[in-house]
Amino acid sequence: MKAIGARLPRYEGAGHVTGQTLFVDDIRLPQGNLWAKALRSPHHSARITSFDASKAASLPGVHAIITHADVPRNVFGHLAFLGVPADEPLLAVDEVRYLGQPIAAVAADSEEAAQAAVDAIEVEYEEREPLFDMRKAFDPDAPKAHHWGNWLPYFGGELENAGPDRRRIRKGDLEWAFEKADTIVKGVYRPAAIEHAPLETQVALAVPEPSGRMVVYSCTQAMHFSAGHVAAHLGVPLNGVKLVSSAVGGGFGGKVDSSSDTIAAVLALKTERPVKWRWTREEEFLCSGTRAAWHIEVADAVTKDGWILGRKTLTLHDAGAYLRHSSYATTKHTFHCAGAYTIPNVSFLAFAVFTNRVPSTAMRGFGVTSTSFLAEMQVNRIAKVLDLDPYEVRLKNANRIGDTMPNTVVLKDPSTVPVVQAIAEHAGIELAPEYKAMTWEPRTGAVLPEWLVEQQAKGGQD
Amino acid sequence: MKITVNGAEHELASPPLTSLLNALRDELNVTGPKVGCQGGNCGTCTVLVDGEPRRSCLLPLAMVDGAEVTTIEGLGTPKRMHPMQAAFHFYYGSQCGFCAPGMITASVALLERNPNPTRKQIQNALGGHICRCTGYVKIIDAVEAVARGESFDGAELTRSRGGEATPKGASA
Amino acid sequence: MSHTPVVLTPASADQAVSAFGDGSGVTVIGGGTIVMPEIAGRRASFSKALLLSGAGLAGITRQGGVVRIGAATTLQALIGATPDPLSTAAQRVGDYEIRGQATIGGNLCAGPGRETPRGDLQAPLIALAASVRTAGAGGEQVQPVEDFLESGPAGRLVLEVEFSEPTRGAYTSMGRPHTHVYTVLSVACAETPEGLRVAIGGAGPTGARAPSVERALADGASVEDAAARVLDDVEPQDDALASAWYRRKALPALVARALADIGKESG
Ligand SMILES: Cc1cc2nc3c(=O)[nH]c(=O)nc-3n(C[C@H](O)[C@H](O)[C@H](O)COP(=O)(O)OP(=O)(O)OC[C@H]3O[C@@H](n4cnc5c(N)ncnc54)[C@H](O)[C@@H]3O)c2cc1C
Ligand code: FES
Ligand code: FES
Repeated sequence: MKAIGARLPRYEGAGHVTGQTLFVDDIRLPQGNLWAKALRSPHHSARITSFDASKAASLPGVHAIITHADVPRNVFGHLAFLGVPADEPLLAVDEVRYLGQPIAAVAADSEEAAQAAVDAIEVEYEEREPLFDMRKAFDPDAPKAHHWGNWLPYFGGELENAGPDRRRIRKGDLEWAFEKADTIVKGVYRPAAIEHAPLETQVALAVPEPSGRMVVYSCTQAMHFSAGHVAAHLGVPLNGVKLVSSAVGGGFGGKVDSSSDTIAAVLALKTERPVKWRWTREEEFLCSGTRAAWHIEVADAVTKDGWILGRKTLTLHDAGAYLRHSSYATTKHTFHCAGAYTIPNVSFLAFAVFTNRVPSTAMRGFGVTSTSFLAEMQVNRIAKVLDLDPYEVRLKNANRIGDTMPNTVVLKDPSTVPVVQAIAEHAGIELAPEYKAMTWEPRTGAVLPEWLVEQQAKGGQD
Repeated sequence: MKITVNGAEHELASPPLTSLLNALRDELNVTGPKVGCQGGNCGTCTVLVDGEPRRSCLLPLAMVDGAEVTTIEGLGTPKRMHPMQAAFHFYYGSQCGFCAPGMITASVALLERNPNPTRKQIQNALGGHICRCTGYVKIIDAVEAVARGESFDGAELTRSRGGEATPKGASA
Repeated sequence: MSHTPVVLTPASADQAVSAFGDGSGVTVIGGGTIVMPEIAGRRASFSKALLLSGAGLAGITRQGGVVRIGAATTLQALIGATPDPLSTAAQRVGDYEIRGQATIGGNLCAGPGRETPRGDLQAPLIALAASVRTAGAGGEQVQPVEDFLESGPAGRLVLEVEFSEPTRGAYTSMGRPHTHVYTVLSVACAETPEGLRVAIGGAGPTGARAPSVERALADGASVEDAAARVLDDVEPQDDALASAWYRRKALPALVARALADIGKESG
C-alpha cells in the first residue's frame, strides 16, 4: 500500500513536461500520409438536391473523395450494444440536420489540396426551417428535426415494437404529498449546452495494413468503444481494426464519440494509404458534440419545517440532430432527479428532444450534473421561501443508509450527511447541535416526524 | 531562410509566410510546440525566439530568418529536466500535457525577466495560455517553486512507481 | 495557400515605401498577429506581402516635447516609454507574447474585428491628438489620427505617429476577468496643449472621439453629467464580448472613472 497517500509522480508526466509525449498529430510515419478535409453542411437543416464532386476529384493532389456510398456501413448507432437503434449517418445521405454535419471527405497530398477539393465540390441545398428551441418541438406546426419525430419515440425495446416515448420514474403517492404539503416550491432550470474545448482538437491517423487490418492512431477517450465504431462502419469484425491509444490532449467527454477516427479510416480504406485528419479549432467549436442543453421544470411539495414530501419534474433533454448517447443521458438524468436527498413521493418525466443543433454527447456527469443543479437550486429556494437554513434543509432531507432511491437502488453508504457537514465546517457555518450530531444511520423519530417515518417506510417502487 | 532550433542550424524550404509552428512541426519534425488554435489565442505553440517567448503560430518564417529558437525539447530531457520542467512535473502542473510546452517556455522566460514574480504577476504572464485541465493553481505553484529556488532530483521524478519524490529545499 | 505569395522584406524605410508603391495588391505585415490567423483560417488571400520587421520602422524618439513612434514599434516597447493613456493601453493588450510581436501600425490599421473590438491604441492616440505619417499614392501625407481612421488604411503605409507630450493622461478599460481576451470597452483621456481630449474604444468600428463630453466639461458640467453625454458620441454595438445594452450602461461610468483618474473632481 505504498501508493495510497503518497505523492507519486504522474505516470506520463516526464514526457509531458519535456515535449516528448506523442499526441496523434505528432506521430510521423516513414511512408508519410495523405491529409483529410471534410465538406460540412453550411445549413442547420436542408435537403441535398444535387451533389457533384467530379471537378473536385480532378484537382491536383486529390486521391479520393468519399461520400455515404463509400462507407461500408454508413448508419450505425452509438449505443447499438445496448440495443438502441441507429439513426446517424457517418456521411450525410440526402439531408443535413445540423450546421457542420459531414457530407463528404477528401484525401489529398496536403491539407491545402484537400481543402481546395472540398471547396470545389458542387452541392445544392434546399434549406428547411430549423428547430432550435426544444420547447417548441411539441407544437403541431414545429419544423421536423428527425425522421423519428421531434422526440425519441421509445426508451428500450425495438423501434418497431416501440417502448415508451418518455423516461418515467414514479415512487410513492405524489397526490398525497401535494395534498399534505404546506407550500409548493417551483423552479425552472435551463442549463445551457457547453463545448468541451479540449486544447487538442480531434485528430486521427488511419493506417491500412497489408493484411487488411486497419490501424487507427486515435485521440479517443474510449478506446474499445471507438474500436467498435470503426469496425462497425468499416463492416469488419473487431479484430479487423486496431486502435492505438495516443495521449489525449483533453477530452472531458467530447472525445468519446470521435468521428474523426471513422472517416479517416474510410479514406484510408479507399486510398490504401495512411490518412491523417486534424480538425481546426473552428471545426472543434462548431461541429463537435457538446454537453446537452436542458429544460427542467420542478414542483416540490414541502412542509413548513422543510421536509420535501414530493417532487414532480418535467425534463426536456436537447439531443441535437441525432440520438448518440441521449437516451442514456436522459435515463441517467431521470434516475437522479431527487439529487442527494430522499424524497418519498416522486414523479419524474423526461423526453429526449431532437433539434437542429449539433448532437449532444458526454460531458463530465452525463445527464447528472443537470440534476445536481436542479436539486441544489431547489433546496436553496425552499430554504429561502420558508426562511430556513439551507444546510439544515439539506441535512433533514439527506440520503441515509437503507433509503430507497427513485430508481429502486437501496443506499448502502450515502455521503450526503458527512459531505454537507464538512462543507458547513469549511465555510465556517455553525450548525445547530442536532444537525452537527446527525449521521448517515437510518432516520429515527427523533429527527423525523412520526407520520413521515411511516411515509418513508411506505415509499418504494411504483 | 535559416534558423537554429535547440542548437541545430537548419536551412528551411517552407514558403516564407509559413508559420514558425508549422515549419517546426511539419518540416523539422520538432513536435513539442503544439497546434491548439493557429490564431494566437491558446499559447500552446509558444517557443523562445532569441530568448523571448513568442507564439510560433503567429510568426511568419520570413520574420525569424537567422533567429535562435528554443522549444520545450531544447530545455531539458526526462533525465535532465530544466528546473521548470521538473517543477511542473512535481507539482502536477501538467495533466493532459497539451498546454505544457507553451506554459513551461513562457514561465522560463518570465523568470528570466523577473526572477521573483508575485503570484499575480505569474497569473498575468501566463494569462494568454489556456489550460483546460488543471485549473491553473498547480501551474502557478510550480512557477513559484522555481522562483523560490526549489530544485528537484530528476531521477527521482521520472520514476513512475514506488514512493514519494521530495523537492530539495522544500519546506516539509 | 494554393499559390505562394511574393514576400517583400525591405531593409529600410525608403525601400518599404517604394515596395509599397500605391499599395495596390500589397498586404502589409507589421507584427502579423492579425494577418497570420487570417491566413491560417483561410480568410485572407493575397499575392504580395510586405514585411516591415526589418525596415527600421521601429523606435521611439522625443524632440522638443514631441513624441515620435515608428509604425513597427511593438506594443511591449510602448509600455513605460510613452505617456498615458498610450502606455497603459498598450499594457492591457493581449499578453506578453502578443505585445512583443504586435505593432502600433498594425493596431491603427486593425479594422473592426469579426467578433470583438480591436485596435485598442486608437482611442489613446485620438486623445493624444496624434497625427499619422503615411506613404502611398501621391507621396507622403500627415493627417490627424481621426481623419486617418475615418478614411481607413487602404492604400496607405503607416510610417510613424507623433504627438505632443501631454501634461496628464488616463486610461480606463473593461476586460473580462482572468484571461487576456480583447477589451470590452475603454476610455482614454489626455490633457494636451490644445485642451482635454476624451476618446472611446470598443464602441464602434474604430476608436472615436467624444466631443460632447469634452464640450460639457468645458462648459462647466459635472463629471457625471459630462460622462453621461458620451452616448451622444458613440453608438455601441452587440458582439461576442458584450451587448450594446451592456455597453451603454457601462460606458458613462467608465468615462467618469477615467475623468476622475485624470484629476477631474466629481460632483
Ligand atoms: C491573442 C490575441 C490577443 C489580442 N488582444 C488584443 C487586444 O487586447 N487589443 C487589441 O487592440 N488588439 C488585440 N489583438 C489584435 C492585435 O494583436 C493587435 O491589434 C496588434 O496591435 C495588431 O498589430 P500587428 O502589427 O500584429 O498587425 P498585423 O497583423 O501585422 O496587421 C494588421 C492589419 O494592419 C495592416 N498593417 C500593419 N502594419 C501596417 C502599416 N504600418 N501600414 C499600413 N497597414 C499596416 C495589415 O495589413 C493588417 O491589415 C490580439 C491578438 C491576439 C492574437
Ligand atoms: S496555436 Fe498558437 S496560440 Fe494557439
Ligand atoms: S494539462 Fe490539459 S490543457 Fe493543460
